[in-house]
Amino acid sequence: MAEKVGAVMVVGGGIAGIQASLDLAESGYYVYLVEASPAIGGVMAQLDKTFPTNDCSMCILSPKLVEAGRHLNIQTLTYSEVVSVEGEPGNFEITVRKKPRYVDPAKCTGCGECPQACPVNIKSEFDEALVNQKAIYRPYAQAFPNIFTIEKGDRAPCTLTCPAQINVQGYVALTSVGKYKEALSLIRENLPLPGILGRICPHPCEKECNRKELDQPIAICELKRFLADQVKEEIPVQKEETKEERVAIVGSGPAGLTAAAFLAQKGYPVTIFESLPVIGGMLHVGIPSYRLPREVIDQEVKAIQSLGVEIKTNSPVGPNLSFDDLFKEGYQAIFVAVGAHRDQKLGIPGEENPNVIPGVVFLRKANLGQKVEVGQQVAVVGGGNVAIDAARTALRMGAKEVNLFYRRSREEMPAYEEDVEEAEVEGIKFNFLSTPVEILSKGKEGITLHLIRMELGEPDASGRRRPIPIQGSDFYAEVDTLIPAIGQVPDLSFMQGMGLEVTSKGTIQVDPITLQTSRKGIFAGGDAVSGPWIAIEAVAAGKEAALSIDRFLRGKDLYEGRGKPKPSKARFEDIYAGQSKSPREKVATIPLEERQKTFAEVKKGWTEEQAHREALRCLNCGYCSECLQCATLCKAGAIQHQMAEEMVKFKVGSIILCPGFDEFDAIRLTPYGYGRFANVVTSIQFERILSASGPFQGNLLRPSDQKPPKKVAWIQCAGSRDMAGNGGNEYCSSVCCMYAIKEAVIAKEHHHEVEPTIFYMDIRAHGKDFDAYYERAKNEYGVRFIRSMISRVAERPKTKNLLITYIDPEGHLKEEEFDLVVLSVGLTPSKGAKDLAKKLGLQLDPYGFCKTEEFSPLQTSQPGIYVCGAFQGPKDIPETVAQASAAVTSASTLLSDVRATLTKKKEYPLEVDVMDQEPRIGVFVCHCGINIGGVVNVPEVKEYAKTLDHVVYVDENLYTCSQDTQEKIKKAIQENRLNRVVVASCSPRTHEPLFQETIREVGLNKYLFEMTNIRDQCSWVHMHQPKEATEKAKELLRMVVAKASLLRPLKEPLVEVNRKGLVIGGGLSGMRAALKLAQQGFECALIEREAELGGNLRHIYSTLEGNDPQALLKEIIEEVTKNPNIQVFTKSELKTINGYVGNFKSTLYVNGSEKEYDHGVIIVAVGAKERTPTEYLYGQDPRVITQKELEEKIALHWEKINSYRHIVMIQCVGSRTPERPNCSRICCSLAVKNALKIKEKNPEIKITILYRDMRTYGLMERYYTQARHQGIQFIPYQLDSKPELRVDSGLLNLKVKDQILGEEVLIQPDLVVLASAIVPYENESLAKTLKVPLTADGFFLEAHMKLRPVDFATDGIFLAGLAHFPKSISESLSQADAAVARATSVIAKGYVSVLPTISEVDPNRCVGCGLCELLCPFSAIRVVETERGSKAETIAASCKGCGVCASSCTQRAITIHHFTDEQLSAQIEALAPLKEKEAA
Amino acid sequence: MKEVSYYPGCSLHGTAREYDESLRGVCHLLNIQLHELEDWTCCGASSAHCTDEGLAFQLAARNLALAEKQGLELLVPCVACYSRFKTAEKEVKDHSERHSKEIQFPYQGNVPIRYALDFFCEESILEEVKRKKVKPLSGLKVVCYYGCLTVRPPKVTGIRDYENPQHMDRLMELLGAEPIQWSYKTDCCGASLVMTRTDIVRSLGQKLLSMAKEAEADCVVTGCPMCQSNLDTRQDEFEKEGGQTFDLPILYFTELMGLALGHRDVKKWLGRHLTDPIKVLESKGLL
Repeated sequence: MAEKVGAVMVVGGGIAGIQASLDLAESGYYVYLVEASPAIGGVMAQLDKTFPTNDCSMCILSPKLVEAGRHLNIQTLTYSEVVSVEGEPGNFEITVRKKPRYVDPAKCTGCGECPQACPVNIKSEFDEALVNQKAIYRPYAQAFPNIFTIEKGDRAPCTLTCPAQINVQGYVALTSVGKYKEALSLIRENLPLPGILGRICPHPCEKECNRKELDQPIAICELKRFLADQVKEEIPVQKEETKEERVAIVGSGPAGLTAAAFLAQKGYPVTIFESLPVIGGMLHVGIPSYRLPREVIDQEVKAIQSLGVEIKTNSPVGPNLSFDDLFKEGYQAIFVAVGAHRDQKLGIPGEENPNVIPGVVFLRKANLGQKVEVGQQVAVVGGGNVAIDAARTALRMGAKEVNLFYRRSREEMPAYEEDVEEAEVEGIKFNFLSTPVEILSKGKEGITLHLIRMELGEPDASGRRRPIPIQGSDFYAEVDTLIPAIGQVPDLSFMQGMGLEVTSKGTIQVDPITLQTSRKGIFAGGDAVSGPWIAIEAVAAGKEAALSIDRFLRGKDLYEGRGKPKPSKARFEDIYAGQSKSPREKVATIPLEERQKTFAEVKKGWTEEQAHREALRCLNCGYCSECLQCATLCKAGAIQHQMAEEMVKFKVGSIILCPGFDEFDAIRLTPYGYGRFANVVTSIQFERILSASGPFQGNLLRPSDQKPPKKVAWIQCAGSRDMAGNGGNEYCSSVCCMYAIKEAVIAKEHHHEVEPTIFYMDIRAHGKDFDAYYERAKNEYGVRFIRSMISRVAERPKTKNLLITYIDPEGHLKEEEFDLVVLSVGLTPSKGAKDLAKKLGLQLDPYGFCKTEEFSPLQTSQPGIYVCGAFQGPKDIPETVAQASAAVTSASTLLSDVRATLTKKKEYPLEVDVMDQEPRIGVFVCHCGINIGGVVNVPEVKEYAKTLDHVVYVDENLYTCSQDTQEKIKKAIQENRLNRVVVASCSPRTHEPLFQETIREVGLNKYLFEMTNIRDQCSWVHMHQPKEATEKAKELLRMVVAKASLLRPLKEPLVEVNRKGLVIGGGLSGMRAALKLAQQGFECALIEREAELGGNLRHIYSTLEGNDPQALLKEIIEEVTKNPNIQVFTKSELKTINGYVGNFKSTLYVNGSEKEYDHGVIIVAVGAKERTPTEYLYGQDPRVITQKELEEKIALHWEKINSYRHIVMIQCVGSRTPERPNCSRICCSLAVKNALKIKEKNPEIKITILYRDMRTYGLMERYYTQARHQGIQFIPYQLDSKPELRVDSGLLNLKVKDQILGEEVLIQPDLVVLASAIVPYENESLAKTLKVPLTADGFFLEAHMKLRPVDFATDGIFLAGLAHFPKSISESLSQADAAVARATSVIAKGYVSVLPTISEVDPNRCVGCGLCELLCPFSAIRVVETERGSKAETIAASCKGCGVCASSCTQRAITIHHFTDEQLSAQIEALAPLKEKEAA
Repeated sequence: MKEVSYYPGCSLHGTAREYDESLRGVCHLLNIQLHELEDWTCCGASSAHCTDEGLAFQLAARNLALAEKQGLELLVPCVACYSRFKTAEKEVKDHSERHSKEIQFPYQGNVPIRYALDFFCEESILEEVKRKKVKPLSGLKVVCYYGCLTVRPPKVTGIRDYENPQHMDRLMELLGAEPIQWSYKTDCCGASLVMTRTDIVRSLGQKLLSMAKEAEADCVVTGCPMCQSNLDTRQDEFEKEGGQTFDLPILYFTELMGLALGHRDVKKWLGRHLTDPIKVLESKGLL
């Protein structure tokens, strides 16, 4: 077997993962905490308040985030996922994939500037899509790690489609925020001709635009034109230093110009040889100026020339200037881009007629301003762009009528749709399915065209249907001029004999990747290679050629990293969701009469507003648009758009899985209209709406109109307890009732006018103090509860209010209108968890939760791998936290022999003694990028700091928290012999420990550090008052410097702990706790007041899941009694206890005699009991028994039970009453269990269960369902009409008002079974001995109901089992393990470190009044008898330094170190003189 | 040329004549040839299905057997007929052994039964409509009213989005009209209770029309002869019930298809409605 590894991997960074990590790290294991999202915190970070205490969720979570995040022995791997796990329990090898954040975590300071530069808005996942966030984001302000992440999908389809790979999404996004110059410069990175292509590009990108699925594609091309027209100033181009090698380019079309531009940028001297008298190739002589004005060409050519490109017109390469000549002249590479200028012949008789002018020739002449006579009647043959251009040009040159003949139909026309439409408007007549067969000369007057009609046959090789002549359909047209325009080919006659190979199609042969021709050093591209094709392809070729030529001239590999990238599977999900339609912006044209006569540009450009509107239509398919604005802005240089994913490997001994849950996808509940109706939200969305950091800054507003809603409805069980097969889950999600009640209460607190209504089936308030909360909601807050399941929600079209039909308590059908509807969505196992389980080979239950056994609730189907939290089954936060700790006990038991083998301990240099020195203070003022520096005049504050007493060194930093600044600070301390350090920057909560660490590394005590927040409370809140903010920053600094001069070093003493434990209570929880301590090698004493171990478990004979509790009992007693680490004392009690965490001294009563026992921790597991009922004739009639008695009878005296015909069970006997307001949690499942057991043994026995709310929470719901299927009858009753039981003529008569029927029902049962309340024992004296509190019900009260469920506020004492609150066997086992984990985190280390910032009593002043002892929430101060009378003393190991004692001491006898009166007064004094001055 | 069998049912020969005429007109323009079943009889929707299960099945099966002989898919414009046919088909498919004994007609369950709305919303036909559309219904706001049986019960119809169907909306959008999303697409209009519980009919009808009105619809579009006649002929009763004037034409989707495709008889069809649609269509410049 491989050696065990003293490290554990925790998967999932929610509250469970955080708690498990902290307990593990404190117990001596190194932890890898792997979280899929960019930050830890999980769902709890999204919640507003938590029930039942109404604590702010973020406020209680955030200290845990910081603690886990900064822990030396917890390595957080965020934005990461587990790839593989190999090995065996004790030794697993893990591979984790760290997804690229595109932000360097080492450099990002979390300053928060970058989102402001980002033009891309995407739905905020954290805010549940209620608002947008930027593509560069941090989920929430308190996130750990405090690092930004860029959300990238696949590249947008527009960019992927563009032959030149222009970053389309990027420039569209930049246009949407008005950054035109940046947008244009982004285009220019791939295209030096934006104004030209913005006019003539057939934009294949728009065909792929995802927006077309919604309405119409984005007008990408038009936006490009807008940018080119809009930006008048020159865009600076980065030009590399001039190189020697000269390059010749043949042809000045789009390919040649592009290559020239990019080569010139690389520093090469470039000369273009152009045979025509004008520059631009086909752009100039092919495209008429009404589509592409000459000045646009001139302007962009000029820009290229300004890069140093020389263009020689009228300079044909050919016999007089061969490629060899060019090489001889010193050119070292040549790019041939001569286009395709030769027309294709019709190939029919009569084509040589002078009135026949080929399309390209006609256009060239016209575009060069040469005179061409076209006459009145013109015929054009062809269906491509040249044909359309020729036809429209002919019209502008005076033709009366222009007829276009095309052999196929309109659908097959290759010309651009827009141009065809424009031509049609201008009056060009289209004649489809006709083609000329002969040209008959009419002499000078013109020609007679002999045509024939065609029909379409089967598709040919091009995919278009082949035209077939129709015999005998000949017809004739009289025309003055015929312009055939059926295609062009490259004219390569000039390069005959120059050694370049030509393809069979008459184009130049090149390598498809490098564009190199058959001659080394000569490259070719554009139409000369591809045949006539679109300009943007020519641009792309020019770009590629430039790259090849550069590599060629630098002697590099031409192929490396090239070739078309394989388009990956695109990830554009949900981009249409919630998008409203908005039509594409229209393009205006000049008046028709102008269009028919002049060559003025037909299309008008857009206004800024139009461009803005259009750009905003972009769906941002690729999320980040890679516009690089963030990279430009980030002063820390943290943005890395090229970041790749990283694989991390490590070894662990065990794995704890807590991947959490997904909320049920409400879109599946179509009748509720989620996703269609704006004001139907999910409960988690409602949490965000309530949250102060949420989309509406904590204002309770509804999404449709952002007005405060008055009537708000909750629909419970959305996706839970759903038997209708509507896509919902069968189980109960356990938490929704309580969170809905809480949301209703908090909503009411936000706005008193809110009228909350909760529609439910059963209210399941089964947790500790939950029912009291429910009652308060009803009675104090006026939350209306209606037991009616809602089948659908309708929306009123105008108001967007919602109509709900329900059955009111009187049984009437009602319709009611609400302003807002909240769906209480259930919990489902997260998708990621399912994938993970697959990788680890874990078995899942039928619902997809991790399969575990009832008596080993955290053990997965794979040894060494444990589960906790909602992945194990739906549960609330305290249970999750308890399970997290419990899982730690499992892992720790497995690995206890390698404990503390991998944990790190930091060594620091010896501390400098500063007590004898004068204060020498160093002050570091932070700019925080521009967060502070943009408002506060930092240099001024810095200068001011120099004037303060004791300040000997001052510096300012861009980011004081960055790694390099830490080095700077250390150096400054050493060089200037600083003995106090002050930082004026941001929040001490997040940053103080970092700076303390820094000064410790150079030998300063960490308490010689002070910090003031000039960001959150200064620059941020006064951002519009820079002058005043600067003054305030100075004041804040002055105050903190005054305190700093009085700082004293403090020691953090370590107190050794006794590693033994004392477990009070020998029931299941106590035994389990003792056993788990013992199995980890810790000795303990287990004391039980009865003569036997076992507690309640002794009376349990079956479980719902069918396991045998008696076997469990036998097994655990055997293990406990055999384990040498456990001393069992029965018939024993705790008499007294002294001491504190780590050092308790107890006196036990064992069998009548006293016994001393020393130990470090205590676990209280004293249990609870079934109350003896006083109602329903219990004790008076033998036919009335309790559920516990029934269970025993079923198991031991079945023949008795079997003799009954009808058994009635009454729930909530003594629970949920005014005297005992809380639920006993387990009685509903107990009743269902016993009822099912009876039915299993004898289905003939009729069973009726009278209940108030059936609380078979979580996965137990299936047994409730099963019970109904078995014919068990369930009748709901209400507290104010309890069932009545009487004996009449010897028969039991039970009357109950059925809440659903609204009628009284009479039953005559043979047996009545009471589900009597679970009540605590008399715990008062034990509580007093331990100095721990009880709830009003008499159960023990834990330190915090949410996050410290098994701790007491007093250190070293822990809680488990029914003494805490009623719970099931499996919950008791988890809780016992949790208590052990918490106890282990104290004793495993062998010492506790004592906080130095604690109270100290001056015995000379103390009068021993005891007020402090009374007030201390941690039992950390007590009055003791001394020689000088009663004096208070601090229990250092327990004190938290909260200051309650010091501030309440009437004698001022108590000081809190680090916050002494002297220090605080100095701080206040420092502020005071200013006030005096003002007064003067 | 596409050929289909056609079962008009009693409504289309009577109260829903304009549905029959417009459907035939649209088919003509779309090159779809209808072969009306020869000797078709009642589908069993009126009373048989609630009085005699066997008879209800036999009635449907008889017609389906006729269609099976023709070997084409069967186009059914009335949603009640459609529901009966689909139910019979499911019966035969689920319980073939039982029905092979009872059945008097050689029906094997092999006829594709197509409800007219589903049929016209098929991709290939929509393409054809798009090509042949001459008058886009611009500016016409409609609410699509599918009613109860068009989509339900899903086990019978096989429709997946039965809670919020979209196909008629897509068709209307393609015709150039503006379909308004509303919550009452599949609510019951009460037509099955017109003889027995007129009070319920009144409250259901009033609700539907007031919501259509609130959605600012110019008309309600449907494919069910019962809904159409219920909502059209009783409109004054509904108005009285709610004290609100509706004046909402209730149109067959085929009539609007005919209008967009430029059929010359559109006015004749529309003239058969009690709540006048001509006025509103004229005001939109569509007639």
